[in-house]
Amino acid sequence: MDKNIRKRKVKDVILQTITYTASFISVVILGAILFFVFSRGTNLLTFKIIKDDFNPVVYNLKTTEIINNNFNDPLIENAYFSKNYGIAAIDDITKDGNKTIRFIYIDKDSPLLKTENQQGELIPFKENMIFDSTIRVINEDNTTTTIFSRNGASNMINILDQSIGIDSAIIKQEGGGIRGSIITTLYLVFITLLIGLPLGIFTALYLNQIAPQNKITNILRSFIDMLTGVPSIIYGLMGAALFIPLTTKLFGDSSMQRGSLIAGSLTLVVIILPVVIKATESALDVVPRSYRDASLALGANKTQTTFKVMLPNALPGILSAALLSIGRIIGESAALIYAMGTIIGDNVSLTGRSTSLAVHIWAVMSGEVPNVALASTIAIIILVVVLSLNLLIKLITYRFTKRYK
Amino acid sequence: MNQKTINKNKRIDRIVKAFLLGTAILSALFIVIIIFIVAIRGLKPFFGDYDGVTINFFKFITGRRYFAPEYRIGYIIINTLYVVFLSIIVSAPIAVLTALFIAKMAPKFLGNILSTVIEVLAAIPSIIYGVFGSGYVVVLVRNLAAKFGITTAGGLSTLSTVIVLSMMILPTITMLSITAIKSVPKDMEEGSLALGASKTQTMFSISINAAKPGIFAGIILGVGRALGEATAVTMVSGGRGSGPTFSLFDTTMTLTSTILTGIKETTEGLDYDIRFSIGLVLIVVILIVNFVLNSVKKRMGKYYG
Repeated sequence: MDKNIRKRKVKDVILQTITYTASFISVVILGAILFFVFSRGTNLLTFKIIKDDFNPVVYNLKTTEIINNNFNDPLIENAYFSKNYGIAAIDDITKDGNKTIRFIYIDKDSPLLKTENQQGELIPFKENMIFDSTIRVINEDNTTTTIFSRNGASNMINILDQSIGIDSAIIKQEGGGIRGSIITTLYLVFITLLIGLPLGIFTALYLNQIAPQNKITNILRSFIDMLTGVPSIIYGLMGAALFIPLTTKLFGDSSMQRGSLIAGSLTLVVIILPVVIKATESALDVVPRSYRDASLALGANKTQTTFKVMLPNALPGILSAALLSIGRIIGESAALIYAMGTIIGDNVSLTGRSTSLAVHIWAVMSGEVPNVALASTIAIIILVVVLSLNLLIKLITYRFTKRYK
Repeated sequence: MNQKTINKNKRIDRIVKAFLLGTAILSALFIVIIIFIVAIRGLKPFFGDYDGVTINFFKFITGRRYFAPEYRIGYIIINTLYVVFLSIIVSAPIAVLTALFIAKMAPKFLGNILSTVIEVLAAIPSIIYGVFGSGYVVVLVRNLAAKFGITTAGGLSTLSTVIVLSMMILPTITMLSITAIKSVPKDMEEGSLALGASKTQTMFSISINAAKPGIFAGIILGVGRALGEATAVTMVSGGRGSGPTFSLFDTTMTLTSTILTGIKETTEGLDYDIRFSIGLVLIVVILIVNFVLNSVKKRMGKYYG
């Protein structure tokens, strides 16, 4: 007997240890994901990445003559100043980690503010523009010298100050930012909720308040339930085969055949629909039946009762339905890859193609050289938004259900 | 209230009711539209003509190579099921034990923290699992393979896919298991304790067994999620043109990753339409797997209730 008990104890301890270890795994996974994303992504997470365009703009500039050759040095630390042109530059690195020269100061009388590109359009130098290729300058004896960016800022300024004019220069507005994708994501959230919320709420009101208990209602319900199990890639296929042709016809714009923001939004509407319906229904369930009965007994008709009593009282639940949907929209990738494409755009429009933040990650990760740093930076933004949404939902639901207890 | 107001009220009710019914029907119609539209486009390669090429359905569904213009996905179906099976084997035990810990063993404070961790894991979008997978898991697998003297395609492999998928379905199975274990009647467990079984014995032989149908429901949901998961899987699986392969360190290809791979380069023609055919196969596979698992669940029998 004693032996048996000891044996049992050993067995118990072993099983307990296994259980402890197993439940620790989920903590390890979450920790690893957070650690990875934050350690790789925080470096890039600056205000600049949020406000910059993704695609770099390259300016091919024409001849510029010096007018004045004695600009005042603003004496910026680490910067090299050209008194011929009135500009200051530093050695810097781009968002992707490449060495570059960055212009950080331009005098208001600098001749570089009057530069033109090859087509004759006025392209003034701007602060924060970068130089990572070549500039050809004209010397006093009418020969030319080429400046290479790899030789650094001090070399560039030296040669510039010995020259009497610029023959040609290739200057860039640095890309790599996510401004376009942030705006696209906001558009997507707004339009999708604008269409999806009313549709979902009305459906939930019908199913919960008005529908008779019969076979047809059951069928409607089971069809809507089936939407929950549809993988997002299948939604994407639907978006590509239904909403892309539909919107192309509607707007009469054949360039929309490869996907557009509005087609993506409509696809998302279908994706969030079951979420909104479920959350609204459970919110309506929480509102006590007596409210409804009282309203009807006081002579209000069913419509008034539904819209003026039930709906306002279920509002916190509907709010959490909206928040849940926002989380889903921000995180969605596979469906949008099909309905909107993966081309990162900086000019966002309803009929144009651009990417949401999640698809932006996909686009930079599926290229020849995956950009893990930028992907992680965007991942941080998505994570923070999605997790705070979840926290908010928890809070709202907690207070909402408590109210009717 | 006079008759006029009553009539007016009735009319308003009727109109509103019709309107709401309309929205409900529209919402319910989407599932029909999805299946219908994927089916129409997906059946086109077998009947249509693409510059003289028509896909033979039998070869499509059983074949072992996937490349233009002969698209054959038999091996892809097998690899998909293989990857999903392995992911369940890995994550289900961990999920059940975690649920057991949260529901029965942990002090309230610790249990709450763990529940929150699980919820957070469930809320993380798949693209982030993809970034983590291709930035971290893949490197881990590559180094592991190097220790065995195996060269991998930079770590893109069946094993990476299984690890990432397991992480993604872990919260799903755990959450349903917690509910199932918590709803096991107290008197069953007390009966076991009264008969002299230890607490641990009771948990493992009574609680888990009684919660089996609920746990299995979680596994069914997990399988569904794993079968349909696209982005993260595509980012770590590597893709392969022929198969099937069962080696853990080989690259692999699933139905979803096939649909997603190379979408950038094509917009029309056979290479585009065939993705709908694969989507159709995916829907059918999900339905069959669900049907099979559900009939297994029905046979499992009930311990209580």
